[in-house]
Amino acid sequence: MLPMLVLVPLIGAAVTLFLGGERSKYARIAAFAFGIVPLAMCVPILMSGDMSEYDFSAEWISAANLRMGIDLTVDGLSVLMVLLTAFLVPVVIAFSYKESDRPNYFYTLLLAIEVGLMGVYLSADYFLFYVMWEVSLIPMYFLISWYGGPRRHYSAIKFFIYTHVASLVMLIGIFALAFEAASIRGTGVVDFGFAAVNAAAPAFGTLFSTLVFGLLFFGFAVKMPAVPFHTWLPDAHTEAPTAGSVLLAGVMLKMGSYGIIRVCMENFGTNPDVVDVWQPIMLFMGLLAMVYGAYACIAQRDLKKMVAYSSISHMGLVMVAMGCFSETGTEFAVFQMFAHGLISAMLFMVCGAAGHNFGTREIPLLGGMASRVPKYAAFTMFAFMASLGLPGLIGFWGEFGIVYAFTDWAVESDAVYLIVFCLLTLLLTAGYYIWAMQRALFGRLTDRLDFAHVHDLDLVECVSLGAVALLVVIFGFWPDLALHYIGLYPFLGVI
Amino acid sequence: MFVEYTWLVPLIPALCFAIVGFFGRRTPACGGYIAIVGAAASFVIACLVSYDFWTSDAYAGPGYVEEHIKWFSLGGHDVNIGYYVDSLSCLMMLFASFISTLIFIYSLGYMGDQGDKRRRYFAEVALFLTGMLGLAASSNMVEMFIFWEIMGLCSYLLIGFWGFDHPGGEDMADNAASAAKKAFLVTRAGDVCLMGGMFILYQAMGSLDYSVIFNQANLSAVDGDTLALASLLIFGGAIGKSAQFPLMDWLPDAMAGPTTVSALIHAATMVKAGVYLVARCLPLFCQNEEVLLFVAVIGGFTAFFAATMAMNNMNIKKVLAYSTLSQLGYMFLSLGAGGYLICLGIKDGNAELVAAGAVGYIAGCLHMANHAFFKALLFLCSGSVIHSCGTEDMRLMGGLGKKMPITSITMLIGCLSIAGFPFFSGFWSKDLVIETVFEAGETDPLGWVFMIVWFLAIVTAFMTAFYMFRLWFMTFRGEAGPNAEHAHGESPKSMTMPLMILSVFAFGFGFVLLTGFDGLLELVPSATGLWTVGNGAAEGVGHYMGELFTNPYTYLTIALVLLAIGLAYLMYCKRSVSPGIVSKDGKSWLYRAVANRWYMPEIYDQVSWKLGYGVARGVDFFDRDIIDGTVNGLSNAVVGGGESVSKMQDGNVHTYSTVVVAGIILLFAASLVLFFVFGGI
Amino acid sequence: MIPIEYFITFGIILFCIGAYGVMSKSSTIVVLMCIELMLNAANINFVAFSAFTGDVMGQVMVIMTISVAAAEVAVGIAIVLNAYKVRKTVSTEGLASMRW
Repeated sequence: MLPMLVLVPLIGAAVTLFLGGERSKYARIAAFAFGIVPLAMCVPILMSGDMSEYDFSAEWISAANLRMGIDLTVDGLSVLMVLLTAFLVPVVIAFSYKESDRPNYFYTLLLAIEVGLMGVYLSADYFLFYVMWEVSLIPMYFLISWYGGPRRHYSAIKFFIYTHVASLVMLIGIFALAFEAASIRGTGVVDFGFAAVNAAAPAFGTLFSTLVFGLLFFGFAVKMPAVPFHTWLPDAHTEAPTAGSVLLAGVMLKMGSYGIIRVCMENFGTNPDVVDVWQPIMLFMGLLAMVYGAYACIAQRDLKKMVAYSSISHMGLVMVAMGCFSETGTEFAVFQMFAHGLISAMLFMVCGAAGHNFGTREIPLLGGMASRVPKYAAFTMFAFMASLGLPGLIGFWGEFGIVYAFTDWAVESDAVYLIVFCLLTLLLTAGYYIWAMQRALFGRLTDRLDFAHVHDLDLVECVSLGAVALLVVIFGFWPDLALHYIGLYPFLGVI
Repeated sequence: MFVEYTWLVPLIPALCFAIVGFFGRRTPACGGYIAIVGAAASFVIACLVSYDFWTSDAYAGPGYVEEHIKWFSLGGHDVNIGYYVDSLSCLMMLFASFISTLIFIYSLGYMGDQGDKRRRYFAEVALFLTGMLGLAASSNMVEMFIFWEIMGLCSYLLIGFWGFDHPGGEDMADNAASAAKKAFLVTRAGDVCLMGGMFILYQAMGSLDYSVIFNQANLSAVDGDTLALASLLIFGGAIGKSAQFPLMDWLPDAMAGPTTVSALIHAATMVKAGVYLVARCLPLFCQNEEVLLFVAVIGGFTAFFAATMAMNNMNIKKVLAYSTLSQLGYMFLSLGAGGYLICLGIKDGNAELVAAGAVGYIAGCLHMANHAFFKALLFLCSGSVIHSCGTEDMRLMGGLGKKMPITSITMLIGCLSIAGFPFFSGFWSKDLVIETVFEAGETDPLGWVFMIVWFLAIVTAFMTAFYMFRLWFMTFRGEAGPNAEHAHGESPKSMTMPLMILSVFAFGFGFVLLTGFDGLLELVPSATGLWTVGNGAAEGVGHYMGELFTNPYTYLTIALVLLAIGLAYLMYCKRSVSPGIVSKDGKSWLYRAVANRWYMPEIYDQVSWKLGYGVARGVDFFDRDIIDGTVNGLSNAVVGGGESVSKMQDGNVHTYSTVVVAGIILLFAASLVLFFVFGGI
Repeated sequence: MIPIEYFITFGIILFCIGAYGVMSKSSTIVVLMCIELMLNAANINFVAFSAFTGDVMGQVMVIMTISVAAAEVAVGIAIVLNAYKVRKTVSTEGLASMRW
């Protein structure tokens, strides 16, 4: 089952690639069909009581003193991310069904991104993890630089260099992990499997752990992105096509936080000396990203750029949660990753739709749009409200759990005043969304748009947005649905 | 047996919201009837639940009924979802659903000409009612907070109802959109405080269920400072929601919404949530008397401060808005002073003080219910007037009494009630509030603070009577203004009928005090167990009549009220005394300051502009120029360096070979140096 | 027996002449010839050391170098001739097109 989750999109990408030219109208159908299959395959995984029955292991590079396997696994940490990936890819394929410029390449790239993402979330081998990490990066680069906005080349290369440099640093960390683990085990075989490294992790020395944590953390933090390594994100989002933005914010950023939990915390999170060094840094970076991102949002004029900064702010929340190094913190970090995946997908879809349907995303050019495009306004308002943490929608629970986890940490550490930053962020978040809505959707009808070319969301767009909205509501009313799966993550009981 | 169906009370309006929201266009009156039926059904169930509860063993026994199921777990403890029924929640559910039903009926006529927009309107008000009823029925603070925020959302949507496509033009649309934003953000500032308080409480107590956190045994186990911090933060939420000083300025602006929405916000929902929260959490607040002192001072100051702004306002709805703020101040004052007395009483083992404090609690709750009735009445009357005249400016009205007899008389009842005219409902609660504050003023060592607040409360009573009758005389008596001449006359039956029903309650609801209401809503402290509301001793008719009418200060307030009404009559009806004498024809600084709302909007704008947008611009600059500047500078340095180095590639073989040879020689020299200086490699 | 230093000195002089020619002459033909000089300087060293140590490996190496040099000259001259056909010049400045 698990290899199929990676292979189906891969086959889909190959098939779609050849549906060019006159057959290009079949490209989106084929891509959608291949996108929906992994989603269907998630159902039995979610239904099964014990997900470990799906574990898959095969030899890949196996020499006398080296083992890199194609090991795939799914557990409480990754299952929601896999679901998110499998869900968002068909949604964005449907949402961007109007793509007319070389559609076969476009959908191929989307499916290729899915291959990489699935690989990252499923792999149980550090080397495979790294390879898949890079696999997801390259199609995204081409998606931005071929289908992006006017400054797409700048943004694409910035995105590429940032994440590539980070992943090289991460690679060094991964090698250090694998070789150190091998020398501790003393079998002479450098095994890159998660299990082999984790087994040796308790014996890692403090200095080694602290340094390698840093290398890996840097690699992941850039991807998240953490301030001050974040500036690639607004640029990439501003220029990327809507589908690319959705996948970038919805699933790709989560690779960073997923990596921090999976690699850094699983291996070193139980070593108090390492925690002592890195906890303040992570909390500081998280709080900084939250407040900084929220403030940056207020100053933005481009809707999509505003939403991009809000992603930084919300991923800062995830960083804070991870920085608590507590069970609750980790649990809700994962929950928030899932919640933000759904919500940011909606946000980027509506903001992208502003570009397609109105011809501009500049807030000052919009105004009073609610009277002309009611469906658009309703979905925008829903997405904004979900993102600012309206109770009853999924975003609230993420914030709720994380701020609680942080309060718990702050009270224990006699630093209750620090929750002011969390609360300030919640207020600022409401501020920029409500202000943007007031300027873009309500009030005086703008006279700077040619309303002959303005059109509301069509049926397909509404259905794809509605599908995400439905999940946002369902998980909002019943957070335990997601928390149940997160609870299956064995590491939660250890930290 | 009906108590088990409490969950239906908020659920029915929620279903109405879904039905009207999705299918409203195909139903008669765009879902109006569905919303009315839903609200009425909630009211009926609330009645059955309350009756069932008050006659059940549970009322006599533990004093509450609670059912919950696990929702999810957070930090090793369970967060539950369920219902908690006691006298306080019954009272809230009853008056909220009853008044909402009447307002919805009234909306049929008031919004009758709005076409398809009514679908949005009725869906949103149904959700609004869900919020309030859910808030009252919740069994823990997390659940309560959800409904709390749903109300925030609904108030945002409804205040901004005219935020686009305003029939009165785009300036008014702009105005409504901005008012909605302000309402949401200012209350949100309170909400985040509430959230912080909840987290601290949850961290300390491991639960947010009312039956756990209001248990004295659990409260005593927690550090007092932590509880004080949590209480203050929770009160911050109430300040935001109930628009107390300093988070008060959104409420007058919120008048940009339809009048029925104002009635809903001021009477049945939204602002009452803050009072409810404080009343509900009073056991928690009672752990520290300083917190209660703070509550009382904020309440007393807001009562006075808001009343000043109502004195010279010309907008009929804004006068009512300020009066709401002022009356809410009374409620907080009452709860604060009552709680203060209870707190001191428990500390000193003085049962009399505890009993006096319990009266304050009753007065606060009663004033909340009374205010719901008369403020709904007043807003609906003003809506009727606005509907008829097409303006909100009282200077353009006048002499409407003959054209709109029903509105005029019902509004008079409302004015008498809010002014505290003897035997009208407002009289009972307001005088009990003032009495409680006076009693708190006699305690040591901080009694002097309460004496100041008591003085403010007395002055506020005078001001309330004055501005309410100023409003009434300016609208219904005297010369007919330009808009009044063209007024349509009396409003349709769907609008006047709710007015008449409400006026009965506005007059008579205070009499429940004489028939056992006090026992029903008595806060019963416990030394080891759960603090409960209800099941106290009902004092009956004679007690309160005797208490109020033997107290000389009651006569003082009555005299002040009569004086104020007389003054308003002379100034605005008979016009024998010109208001210009006091205001120096609008030139005195006080008049101008008050007319400018004590410059609060400017202060708000400055603060939000500087702390919000100003900092944001700084951050944006830092992001673009410093961080991105560094990044781009680095990349430019790499590209530029590469370009300048590539210039050496001039294609000339001689240069290349020279460089190679020079390199070899250098390498050789370096290895020689290494060899001889460092003695080998 | 002639001391080994003479051979080495001769080799160095020959190499330096060759290197100087590569660096300074503008005709590619001369440059090729100078490369041959440098190669032969190396050959002389090989032979000298071979004779000096009695190890035939050096002489084997020289045979190898000569054959490689022959091939190199063949290819080199061919390139120069073709370049002359295209550019009508064999000077290094005239052929300097491989640059930024």
